[in-house]
Amino acid sequence: MNVSRYGEEGILILFGDKIDLAIHEKVRRFYFFLKSRQFTEITDVIPSFRSCLIVFDRSKTSYEALIALLKEKESLMSPVDIPSPKTCEIPVEYGGEKGFDMPFVQSHTGLSEDEIVEIHTSATYTVFAVGFMPGFPYLGILDERLYLPRLETPRLRVPEGSVGLAQLQTGVYPFESPAGWRIIGRTDKKLFDYRKEPYSLLQIGDRVRFVRA
Amino acid sequence: MIEIVNPGMMSIVVDGGRYGYMEVGVPASPALDGYALRALNRLLANGEGAPAIEIFGVGFSLRFGMDVSCAITGARVMADLSGGPLQSWMSFAVKAGDVLTVNAIEEGFRYYVGFSAAPVLDKFIGSYSTNLECRFGGYQGRALQKGDRIEFENVRKVGERKIPENFIPRMNPPHMLRVVEGPEQDFFTEESLSKFLSGTGRTFTVSTKLNRTGIRLDGKPLKLRAGAEESIISEGLLPGSIQVPADGLPIIQLHERTLGGYARPALIAKADHDLLAHLKPGDAVTFKMIGIEEAGGLFDKKIQTAVLMNKLI
Repeated sequence: MNVSRYGEEGILILFGDKIDLAIHEKVRRFYFFLKSRQFTEITDVIPSFRSCLIVFDRSKTSYEALIALLKEKESLMSPVDIPSPKTCEIPVEYGGEKGFDMPFVQSHTGLSEDEIVEIHTSATYTVFAVGFMPGFPYLGILDERLYLPRLETPRLRVPEGSVGLAQLQTGVYPFESPAGWRIIGRTDKKLFDYRKEPYSLLQIGDRVRFVRA
Repeated sequence: MIEIVNPGMMSIVVDGGRYGYMEVGVPASPALDGYALRALNRLLANGEGAPAIEIFGVGFSLRFGMDVSCAITGARVMADLSGGPLQSWMSFAVKAGDVLTVNAIEEGFRYYVGFSAAPVLDKFIGSYSTNLECRFGGYQGRALQKGDRIEFENVRKVGERKIPENFIPRMNPPHMLRVVEGPEQDFFTEESLSKFLSGTGRTFTVSTKLNRTGIRLDGKPLKLRAGAEESIISEGLLPGSIQVPADGLPIIQLHERTLGGYARPALIAKADHDLLAHLKPGDAVTFKMIGIEEAGGLFDKKIQTAVLMNKLI
């Protein structure tokens, strides 16, 4: 573990330095190991592409004590603690008003709308992180043919359910939101429900397939 | 019951915050001045993180439909209760029909109004706080508007109590914010860092781009070292992190984001987080780097102060 201190109550654990499925699997395993042990000293864990941020309660432990505890327990980590990822299908209405950036994506990539949809729906994506807003999945890795720059100035509002592309990622906006990604369609699937546990449809490591609605 | 007569510039329901679901992107959205919320609830004999109304801007006014006790903490304000002048940082009794109005702010930016009663509102994901961006929590997931009514239960009355003067923090600019090292400190040139973090050096100004998500500062941009990336692979973000986007101007991140993708040269020491609630456009800000142990000590001292306050009143 590459461990560093981040503020008075943060521990940043790095598992690599790039966006990579093998590195991410290490993040996922460590995250579920932490979850399975329900450490009362830990208030929040934020897993992402290549790291886990642990937020701990300073009234219950110290940086040094928690690191020592994690190192000790980590050696006892067993595969039982690590659930298999679930796969989720997300139906999307591509193009038209709901996918208003489709013309831009076509001209930028030189592909037809059908080709773009075909490429987007043919891959199984991994949830690398959930954040930016509640339930927003960062999905990768996108086919290089759909590589697009982010908008320089994000749009102030895109509707709930908008499906976007940015660089080698794709994602879905669970709420109406400002957005810097290019929008190619929209889904009716609810990605976040603040009224019902577990609130987020997806968690880190889950797999996603998009299908044409 | 209370009825909002005037919401000021903005008023929202907040509490101690929403924790435990940052893994799926749920931000804490707590009262930005946690010490003020704690003092408020102490005055009113409520639980430490009980909900209250967080407000900025003058003119806030509400009408009471019940006999209850009320208090205002956070920014020092001049207020009146049906014409009789009031001070902040003390509890006072109100009668049904009374109108509370905040007429001026003397020091600080955000203030908190609370009651010795429990609002009849739904808790979502363990908290009453409003998530403005996703429109849930608080009062119908939005800022309060004229005419909104909040019902209460468990209505009690408490004695008139006052927070001693030496327990009220200073909130006036210039703000000297203490910081600790951030994960990408080495992305920036030595010169940029030493001027940025010396405490007496470079002064930044709070811009008008300020909300509950973050505070953008104006001033001389920080410079990235040759070869340093402009952005990082998005990862977990702690409240108080200073993020520096491509234009070099720092953004102080508050509690509404769990992931970030910009380099973080520093992080505001926890002891100074409450002060962030009182940065307002035009205020001068300087930063001073301290060690992590010192920062921990300062925060412990702050908690001790709060504990002592609890004993005194």
